[in-house]
Parts: sequence; structure tokens; C-alpha cells
Amino acid sequence: MMKEQIIEILEDIQPEADYETCQTLIDDHILTSLDVLSLVAELEDEFDVTIPTVEIIPSNFNSVDAIAAMVERLQEEG
Amino acid sequence: MKSYVAPLYLLVFLPAVVFLYNIVPKKLRPVVLLLASYLFFWSISGKLILFLLISTFSIHHFGLWLSSLQEERNRILAETERPERKAVKAEYIRRQRWVIFLAVCIHIGTLLVLKYTAFFGQNLNSLLALAGVDWTWKIPKMVMPIGISFYTMQAMSYILDVYRETLKPDKNIGRLALYMAFFPSMMEGPICRYNDDAVSLWEGRRSSVQNLVFGAERILYGVMKKMVIADRLNIMIKTLYSGYADYDGGMMVVAAIAYTCQLYMEFSGTMDVVIGSAELFGIVLPENFKRPFFSKSISEFWTRWHITLGTWFRDYIFYPISMSKPMKRLTSKARKKIGNHFGPLIAGSIALFVVWLFNGLWHGAGWHYICFGMYHFVLIASANAVEPYTKKFLEKLHIRREEGGYKCFRIVRTALLVCIGELIFRADSLRIAMRMLKKMFTDFTFRSFTDGTLLNLGMDKHDFLIVAVSVLIVLVISIANERGICIRQKLAEKKVVVRWAVVYGLILFCIIFGAYGMNYTPVDPIYAGF
Repeated sequence: MMKEQIIEILEDIQPEADYETCQTLIDDHILTSLDVLSLVAELEDEFDVTIPTVEIIPSNFNSVDAIAAMVERLQEEG
Repeated sequence: MKSYVAPLYLLVFLPAVVFLYNIVPKKLRPVVLLLASYLFFWSISGKLILFLLISTFSIHHFGLWLSSLQEERNRILAETERPERKAVKAEYIRRQRWVIFLAVCIHIGTLLVLKYTAFFGQNLNSLLALAGVDWTWKIPKMVMPIGISFYTMQAMSYILDVYRETLKPDKNIGRLALYMAFFPSMMEGPICRYNDDAVSLWEGRRSSVQNLVFGAERILYGVMKKMVIADRLNIMIKTLYSGYADYDGGMMVVAAIAYTCQLYMEFSGTMDVVIGSAELFGIVLPENFKRPFFSKSISEFWTRWHITLGTWFRDYIFYPISMSKPMKRLTSKARKKIGNHFGPLIAGSIALFVVWLFNGLWHGAGWHYICFGMYHFVLIASANAVEPYTKKFLEKLHIRREEGGYKCFRIVRTALLVCIGELIFRADSLRIAMRMLKKMFTDFTFRSFTDGTLLNLGMDKHDFLIVAVSVLIVLVISIANERGICIRQKLAEKKVVVRWAVVYGLILFCIIFGAYGMNYTPVDPIYAGF
């Protein structure tokens, strides 16, 4: 469920990517730094989490799975 | 020892420290490095070493203070029910922010006072005169400990990482002191990070034969860049920038290109000496340059030039601003109103503006440095803004960005834009920079290239030939590096005769073609002044 929501957000921000399979969203510059700014703002609104700047690293944004794992972890940490 | 290519440093100090480091027991090796670093600092800045010592003690204390607050918070959190945890966390974030505020006031405050008082005073006096006030502030003369900009940034990254809890504060003040003062990187960087470098600095590993050979080769390559190219260009650059009024626009183009070349050779050459020096002790410092003149855009250029400064600004200024709560709200709202592209551009550009304002000011207290920063801000922000249109335009023309001719065009265009920026950077004032640029665009002729003016600037045909051959050598090595070939590794695989022939060849090249002696003035370590 969370993954589907994340894909929806990503498709709204940057429609030209296959989010189901892509594992290199940042490494291959599919998401730019400006896209990441939008994504963080949307994730915080949607999932009621605060994403601190230390989490803004490529490994947390390279795939939908990685994004979901980060959001879940931040939700647990409360 | 005013530069890393001074004979006293290369032939006496560095070999003596390497020798001493390797003969003492492992436990004492980091102590040797620390004492050598303080001796190095003392030899340049004398009693101003007190600033470095106070800075080290202070940042060590702030780190432990933050850590004790974090431990206290964790203890309370363990005994608190989930709904109340948020309030506890908020309270401790508030307390920690006060500690950070105090640390920033002391460390950045000291840097601001020492580095910018004169600039502030001059502008204040000009404003007062403009307003007709009959009073001027007698600007006090400030002292300037060597490397203060660099060690302050390292101290800030340390304390901010402790605050973000990506780093455990170090109880060992010796290790922290060596991280702050390590002599090869003290004067011109690279700006190290505690997590990456402090442990290996304090480890005290014995130098291997490969460390010594690779380190010496890297130092030699750096010396070549500095002595043969940067120093040889110095007379011509000084003549052009001080007497710009006597030359036409063609010579202004020469001034811009020659200074960019000099700055790159001086700074990257010094970095080769610095990183090579650390390698002699088996220590790997972060790279500060990654063939910047192969960049296809200005933003890419700044990921390849003075890399550790760029990443520092990214991690401690760009992201904290663009990811702050008000900016996130702004991004969210703006995206809904003006779309996916322009929405985040506003917050991104505000953060970028602050980064480039600080970047300009970090390089020096002067309006031309601020203008240098703003120039890059405008170039990067406008490229971000027009990106979708550029993409569509190229698609219509069936041009692929990463292919042949267009890629070359982008590389040359980026290099030329960089040269213009460096002219603003080098000019003695903003007014002079503007005059030089005006000449470049309104008074451009090839006359000076043919009427002998070019050969009357302190460099004759032989000088130009030596510079051209040396730049060609650097270019060939850079192309190999860009393709992932490590020249030193390749050399190590050759027969011993070939290896020594290359090393001796490079030494002789520096001795024969290096610009030193009575008729030359070596360029001062440019970044040591920042």
C-alpha cells in the first residue's frame, strides 16, 4: 500500500520513469535534486513523518523500496 | 615554509617527519604527526597557534556537551510513554540547538571578526561618508592564523555531525587535535570529515614501500604543475591584471584563460603535494579535484573543482535550508500552483543563493568575490530554470547531449564561462573586473597577438612553449585518469629502469623548466589566503 502511494507521488513529480523496477533513481539522475525537494515535502505530508537532512543520501532514494524502508523506519522512530 | 613546494618543506621537514614517524613505536606515531603539525603551524603563524588550540579545546568540549544531552534524552525516552516522547525530543532538540548556536557564535564568530572586519569597516566608512556623517571608524588591524577558514569548517562539520548523531563525539582530544591540525591539509585543505579521516590519522600505520613511492610520485607531479606552469605564467598574469588599461580585449581573454590555468595548476598541484604528503604516512585524504575541465555544465564543474568545499556547502547549508520546514511548505504549495518544475525551483534557488553568497565570501572579503559567487548562482539557477525547454529544444533538433560535437561544445562553453568567473575572482576590485570584461566584449581584436604585445608581457616564445608542453602532459594524464587508468599503478608494473627513468625525467623537467630564480616570482599559495 505504502509503495503504491509512493509510486503515485513519484509519477506526479517525474512521470518519465519505471518506478516498479528502477533501482538507480538518484545514481542515474532520473530524480534531480529539485525532484528530491518535492518528494521529501510530499512524503512528509502523506505519511506524517519528518525527514531530516541526514537522510538525504542516494541510498535512501534510489528505489521505491528504499524510500518506503526509510519512511517506515522514520515512522517507527516516531 | 610558506608553501608546500618550498624546498624547506619538501627536502627537510617532510622527509624528517616521515623518518621520525616510521622509527618510533606505533603508539607514538600520531603524536609525532600532531607535534609536527603544531611545529608547521608555529613556523608560519607563531603564537597565533593559540587560536587553533582554543578552537580544538572548544569544539572538543561542545561535542561532549552535546553527547551528554543526547544520553540524558535517551535515558528519559526509555522511561517515557510513546505519546509524550515527541515533547521530550522537541525539548532536547531545543537544548542542543542552543549548544550549536554557542559553538557557531564562537567559531564562525572568530572567523568573521578576523577575516571580515576590514571589509565591513571599509563599507561602513563609505556609507557614512555617503550619508555626509563626519566620522570614520578606525578599522583595527586583525591577525590571521594560517588555515583558519579550513580548520573552522572542519570543526563545524564535526560539531554538526555530532548534533545530527551521525558521529559519536571523540573523548580523545589528541585525535580531534590531529584532525584539526594535520599539517599537509592545514593550509589549503582538502576539508576533511571526522568520520572519514580521524581514525586513519590516529592509527599510526607504518608507511609501506608503495605509500612512499606513490606519495613521492604524486608530490613530484604537483610540483611540476606548480613550478613549471603556474609560476611561469605569474609574470604575465601580474602584468595583465595590474596594467589592464594598456591592453585590448584580446589580451583580456588571455588574462582570463591564463589565470584560470594558473589557478588550476597552482591549487590542484598543491593538492597533489598535500595528498601525496599524506600518502607517505599511509593516510588517504579526500580528492579535491576530478578533472574539472571535462565538465559539461557549471553545476558539474563545481562537483569536480574544490570538491570538499562544495560538499561542505551542500551538506551544511544547501540541504538544511532547502529542507527546512518553511522551505518544504513553500515547495509543496508552489508545486501545486506552478507545477513540478518551477515549484521546487524557488526553495532550491533560495538555498543556492545562500550557498553562493557564502562561497563568494569564503574566498575573500571583497565585492568581487561576492560577484564571483553571484555569477555562478545566476548560471546554475538559470540552467535549472530553462532545463525543460533545453530538453525539448534538443529533442526537436535530434541532438543527444552525451554525443560527439554537442558534448564538445558543452565542455568548451563551460570552460569559457569558468574563465570569465575566474577573471572576476582575480581582478583587484569589482570595478576593475567590470572594466576588463567590458574590454573583452567591446574592444576585442587580434592585433595584440601579432604586433608583439603578447611576447612583451614577461613571457617569451620559449616560456609559451614550455607551458604548452606541460599543459599537454597534464591533459594526457587527465584523459587517462578520466578513463579510469591509474598512471602510477601502470608505472609500478613497469621494469625498475623505466620507473626510475620516468621519475628522474620528471625531476629534471622541474629543475630545468621550473620557473624559479632571479627573474621569476613564484605565485603565492592562492588558497592559503582564504
